Amino acid sequence: MLKTGFLSTVAALTLMAASTLPARAEISFMYADWIAALVEPGIANFEKETGEKVNAIKLPGQGYDQRIALDLSAGTAADVALMDSFMVSELASAGYLEPLGEHLKGWDQSQYYLPGLLEVASYQGEVYALPTDTDVRMLWYDLSNFEKAGIPTPWEPKNWQDILDAAQKLKDAGVQYPFQLPAGTKQGEASTMQGVYMALLGADVPEGDRNRLLNRETNQWIGDSPALRRTFELYSKVYSEDQLNPADLNYATDIGAAVRAALAADQLGILASGSWEDACLWDCNNPPTREVRDAEVAWTPWPGSGEPGTKATTNISGGWTIGVNAKASDKELAFKLITSIFDEANFKAWTLETHRMAVRTDISDSPEYMADPFLAKATALAADTTGRDTVPGYQTVSALIQQATSDLLDGVSVDEVIETYHNALVDEFGEENVITYE
Amino acid sequence: MKNQVNPWLTGNLYVLVIGMLPAIVLIGALLYFTAWAFAFSFTDLALVGRKSVEWSWVGLENFERLFTRRGFLESLWTTVIFVFFSAIVGQSVLGFLLAATLRGTQSTLRTVVEVCIMLGWLLPDIVAAFLWSATTSQTGLINQLIVVPLGFPPINFINNYALPVVTIANIWKGTAWSYLLFSAALDSVSREVVEAAKVDGATPLQRIWLVQLPIIRPHIATNMLFITIWTFTYFPLIFAMTGGGPGRQTETLAVFLYNQSFSRGNLGFGSAISVAMLLIVGFLSLFYLRLLREPK
Repeated sequence: MLKTGFLSTVAALTLMAASTLPARAEISFMYADWIAALVEPGIANFEKETGEKVNAIKLPGQGYDQRIALDLSAGTAADVALMDSFMVSELASAGYLEPLGEHLKGWDQSQYYLPGLLEVASYQGEVYALPTDTDVRMLWYDLSNFEKAGIPTPWEPKNWQDILDAAQKLKDAGVQYPFQLPAGTKQGEASTMQGVYMALLGADVPEGDRNRLLNRETNQWIGDSPALRRTFELYSKVYSEDQLNPADLNYATDIGAAVRAALAADQLGILASGSWEDACLWDCNNPPTREVRDAEVAWTPWPGSGEPGTKATTNISGGWTIGVNAKASDKELAFKLITSIFDEANFKAWTLETHRMAVRTDISDSPEYMADPFLAKATALAADTTGRDTVPGYQTVSALIQQATSDLLDGVSVDEVIETYHNALVDEFGEENVITYE
Repeated sequence: MKNQVNPWLTGNLYVLVIGMLPAIVLIGALLYFTAWAFAFSFTDLALVGRKSVEWSWVGLENFERLFTRRGFLESLWTTVIFVFFSAIVGQSVLGFLLAATLRGTQSTLRTVVEVCIMLGWLLPDIVAAFLWSATTSQTGLINQLIVVPLGFPPINFINNYALPVVTIANIWKGTAWSYLLFSAALDSVSREVVEAAKVDGATPLQRIWLVQLPIIRPHIATNMLFITIWTFTYFPLIFAMTGGGPGRQTETLAVFLYNQSFSRGNLGFGSAISVAMLLIVGFLSLFYLRLLREPK
């Protein structure tokens, strides 16, 4: 008994070891499942053109950021990889990514990329990855639940109090998740971007970056500020004081699936999310028709807090990118795969089909793109947007912010959460790199 | 017998070294990871960014932060509760009761129950996590089948009672091991001893408490040793079910370690947490190993 157990363990270990050895003959590519509709036709074209085999590693979106960081730092990452744009500068600063400057010169379609978006995927002036899409953020809401709660639509909240009032009405009408505000560590970057940063930007005046996580002039992280306190108080109200939303969706086994199931079952009131929901309402790779979607949900911009001098509506944009591993065995071939994915015909079809916000002028200037009603409105929002603090260290700060929202869910006081956050920033970056706003 | 060394071996140092090589490699491989974690627990090594290549020594800073910063002590407490109720009380006691009850029953019934217990053990953690989340959610099976038909409003178990739910899930998942071990142990207790106790007028409870339990004491200690170590460092089921949440309610040390190392990206601090876990588990193991010794 013991002997067979031992033998099978050895066999399993040998198999595992064999499967992790790099296969030299092929090129590997790691991506998240939600982008399959873009990358899979690109891979097929690449294989047809070059005759090479692509080892396509498709992963769930949850935990993807941790996986890519770990794989690259351990030296086991795929040759080509999809990654959230905020990680590019950090990964590049550690030397994990291949600079693309020389490769881009040899590709005629590189001229169409928007310079601002290439800058997000750059480190010290060198481009390290190419963007797949960009986005804007907003509050989506379920029309049938708003009708049930007696809230007139189209809904146009002017400040946070309007959102809280609507959430209270939805709660009173028996809606299970009145205001799904992303929070907690399991949500990862979604807690920071869709939740905290959208609130933070409208929580105080923009002067001196008082409404941000980083003072971009001095490159100092903000450890305590009225904006942070107001944002954390909003979380505290939603999840603890007024109990306007149960916490469980933020910790579901598959968060994306759980949120979509709740939306489909009319259990959700307001969802703080982004422009991708237009395609991803049920399944990112199979978007619903315009009629079906418009009958179910609508969206409104995130309002500012209503404090004097704050912005009327807020926005922050992210997006994803594809880059080449610095340890890729054949970098020319790796870049060739990227150009197959981003080849105009394939890239444009996906951008239009899934209503993504274009990152290239040849797509955004096309008549089909301009005729899309959703993209027209979303692009208007993008006129007044900002980006993440894509400097090295952001990933750590973002994780600390996620931890802060986690503690707020537990009912920890705002003072205590701020103190923990401030201390952690000092631990990570040193006293001289952390400031406080009164 | 006296230990004899082959004179040919002692005369050939090269052969001796080559002969020792496999052992040296094995011991080195075993020590490597522990030594790595131990060394880097004194640094500010990061997962990504500049500090992932240009790290520096920070002394005992990481260990100080275990006690001065929020997180470690709370997670330790959560882990202690989780280990105590799911492993020591749940799996062990339930496993023993099942083994004691099923001993001597008809073989078909016993097989059916054994297969049922084993199913939980054999199911992959992630699948089990999905099942338990789906069962204990507000619209889940327990509510649909029991709570709502009885006329109560549905309860969101996984949100309101996260730690009890993951504890119960782990009892379900891990009882098979304790059951198998105790089954085998009880089979080894000779029938004559139990019969003799019976003849002497011992009640069923006394027969278990005073005869069988003392005989299988080493098995109990072995079982405790295994399940304590496993449960203390157990990660996938909890992480998939709740990710440590809501808030920090189910953030055991393994989940805390993951968040600090791979989300926050602080491998130095993560290593300090793992060294602390190693010490705690090591201490518990010593305690159990003492139990294993026969009383003088």
